[in-house]
Amino acid sequence: MNRFTLAAVAALMAGAGSAQATNIEFWYGNTGPVETAIKAQCDAFNASQSEHKVSCVGQGSYEVSMQKAIAAYRAKNHPVLIQFFDAGTLDLMLSDAVEPVQDLMPDVKWDSYIAGARAYYETSKGKLFAQPYNSSTLLFYTNKTELEKAGITETPTGWEEIIEAARKLKAAGHACPFVTDGDTWRILEQFSARHGLPIATKHNGYDGLDAEYVINSTFAAKHLANLVEWRKEGLVRLAADTKAGNYTAAFNAGECAMMEQSSGSYAAAAKAFDGKYELTVNMAPMYKGYERHNTFVGGASIYVMKGHDKPEIEAAKAFLDFLRKPEQQMFFTANTGYVPVTTNVLDAIAKSDEANSPKYATAKVGVESMNQPATADTRGIRLGFYVQFREVFMEETQKAFAGTQTMQVALDNTKKRGDQLLRRFEQTYKGKQLP
Amino acid sequence: MSSESSLFSHRWLPALLLAPLMLLIVLFFYVPVFQAFYWSFFLEQPFGGGSEFVGLQNFQRVLSDPEFWGATGRTVIFMLTASSLAVVVPLMLAVAADRKIGMSYPARNILVWPKGIAGASIGVVFAFIFNPFVGLMAPLNVLFPGLWNPGIDGTDAFVTLVAAHVWSGIPFNFVILLAGLRSIPPTMYQAAAMDGAGPWRRIFDVQLPLIMPQLFLTFVLEFTESITSVFALIDTITGGGPGGSTTLLVYKIYVDGFRGFDLSGASTQTAILMVFVLLLAACQFFFLGRRINYER
Repeated sequence: MNRFTLAAVAALMAGAGSAQATNIEFWYGNTGPVETAIKAQCDAFNASQSEHKVSCVGQGSYEVSMQKAIAAYRAKNHPVLIQFFDAGTLDLMLSDAVEPVQDLMPDVKWDSYIAGARAYYETSKGKLFAQPYNSSTLLFYTNKTELEKAGITETPTGWEEIIEAARKLKAAGHACPFVTDGDTWRILEQFSARHGLPIATKHNGYDGLDAEYVINSTFAAKHLANLVEWRKEGLVRLAADTKAGNYTAAFNAGECAMMEQSSGSYAAAAKAFDGKYELTVNMAPMYKGYERHNTFVGGASIYVMKGHDKPEIEAAKAFLDFLRKPEQQMFFTANTGYVPVTTNVLDAIAKSDEANSPKYATAKVGVESMNQPATADTRGIRLGFYVQFREVFMEETQKAFAGTQTMQVALDNTKKRGDQLLRRFEQTYKGKQLP
Repeated sequence: MSSESSLFSHRWLPALLLAPLMLLIVLFFYVPVFQAFYWSFFLEQPFGGGSEFVGLQNFQRVLSDPEFWGATGRTVIFMLTASSLAVVVPLMLAVAADRKIGMSYPARNILVWPKGIAGASIGVVFAFIFNPFVGLMAPLNVLFPGLWNPGIDGTDAFVTLVAAHVWSGIPFNFVILLAGLRSIPPTMYQAAAMDGAGPWRRIFDVQLPLIMPQLFLTFVLEFTESITSVFALIDTITGGGPGGSTTLLVYKIYVDGFRGFDLSGASTQTAILMVFVLLLAACQFFFLGRRINYER
């Protein structure tokens, strides 16, 4: 009751402040340097014109933002624009709560988005649902200084070389050669994508809601079992094994020598390494004998929610247009390490005199990674209750890392529980067609 | 206490004064409870696009799900270990603080302070205290590498959780139990001492029987509280891990409903949990409550 009164008063006061401008809200989930960059973009947009005003509201995390959006949508009190992360794509596509950006703005040149970024957020027929915003992908980071100390002069690129380097590091007394947090996105999704392996049948769910997980029978199962063995050998460390307790912090502090992490981490690593260590960033490692495919786009995209009047939608369009501008994308990349995903921006960076500046370092390698040859299984993941599946995967594999079950048993259980989630999702959205 | 209703002669005034509170209770308790029970019979789409009545299918699924029983089992183990300790530890402290020993006066004061700390803050502090590299156990880990790591070992994580819960339960139970002890007339001890009862004998034969009502109260509250209030601790210390070893039912409901957007599954588990808590409290009153003598 009180909330509504407050909201009404707030709306009145805001309305009084700028009589003609249309006020809209944009909800995002990031924190830290990314949030600072988002706020700067909002301020720049509001300063650039007087017709529209966007209020950017930070919700603390993608999940919280989504929870609030669900509650707000049911109460008809939802924002016009909301940022949401990769794993919730299917939930939003079937929600009937969002308007596809390509329907809303048919004139925009959506094909300037690189295929790797489009495929994740578009329907199987090629209609883009959301405007990619903070895009990232998985990259391989090394602490070159530490590697050289152990006599490794060439930065490893494949898993076989990484393990060889890890053995040398261990022999040289290094406590943490390679670190990971065992996150689903990093050790399963991106691994499967770049090795061209499916995660589920029906091309990861793109061809129907009746998909089933296959993670326990692809080469990914072998890799995950390898990780367990390598941890026993002291070559691979988990976040909880490190003094820092957080794998990115452990790498940034120099405690660990190699990691697989999002391109979005680059800015923090470069800053932490400055003057102490030399940093290398390359495409994530492959096994010998496998052809390299594209990695998935990670991060988040912006959706336009239904149920708003025309001026509000116009304001939303204007803000999305603003965010697509090359200089805005370059600003965002330079300040966060996220990757620009439109070809015109990549060209603009290449032509600028800062093309080789470290602030654009991840843009080049990140886009290269997402631009590798694609198959029908490397477009993205279109599986229901996928956020829950990620939790299940983490839970079961943690048991394998702790030694209470083998990795194969963990993956068999994950498949079983994951398939149950898919069946329930299918039943929940009975009668709905995949767009 | 001659006529309780004579204070408010107006017929509607009491109802009017009660209305705001009742409204809040209805709005924030009964409506959500009803909603949860309602949703547990449906498959509900998160954004409200449509829902399908499925009868008892949700209950069938949840009740045949080993994960649900795993979380329930952990909840029961936690309830038994953590709540027992959360009563026994304050009881020992209260008995000590009740005696005229050095520092008992300041202790009566200081032991209440943790009450002012929010569960989430306690969680953050305990996560640090039990950190395997810089915390209390760090020296042990140096001697026996890998002995203690709540980030890898599920049992260690569970122990951390129990320790944090017991600590956070000390102030309230301590106050209740100490108040009970202070209300026992000193003549009772004196008489017992005159009859030759030593300190231990006086504790077991005089003090404990006389604070049964307080002990019962703390046990009932602890048992029901431990099931729900542990959420903040889990969320800040372990996040339900490692490997789901600290995913108690209340946390599983949160993860399923709010992180996984499975409203029906979470509602069904909420309904089951609620019935369980009510049954538990009813059992306690039925089997224990009757035997307690409130007269002195």
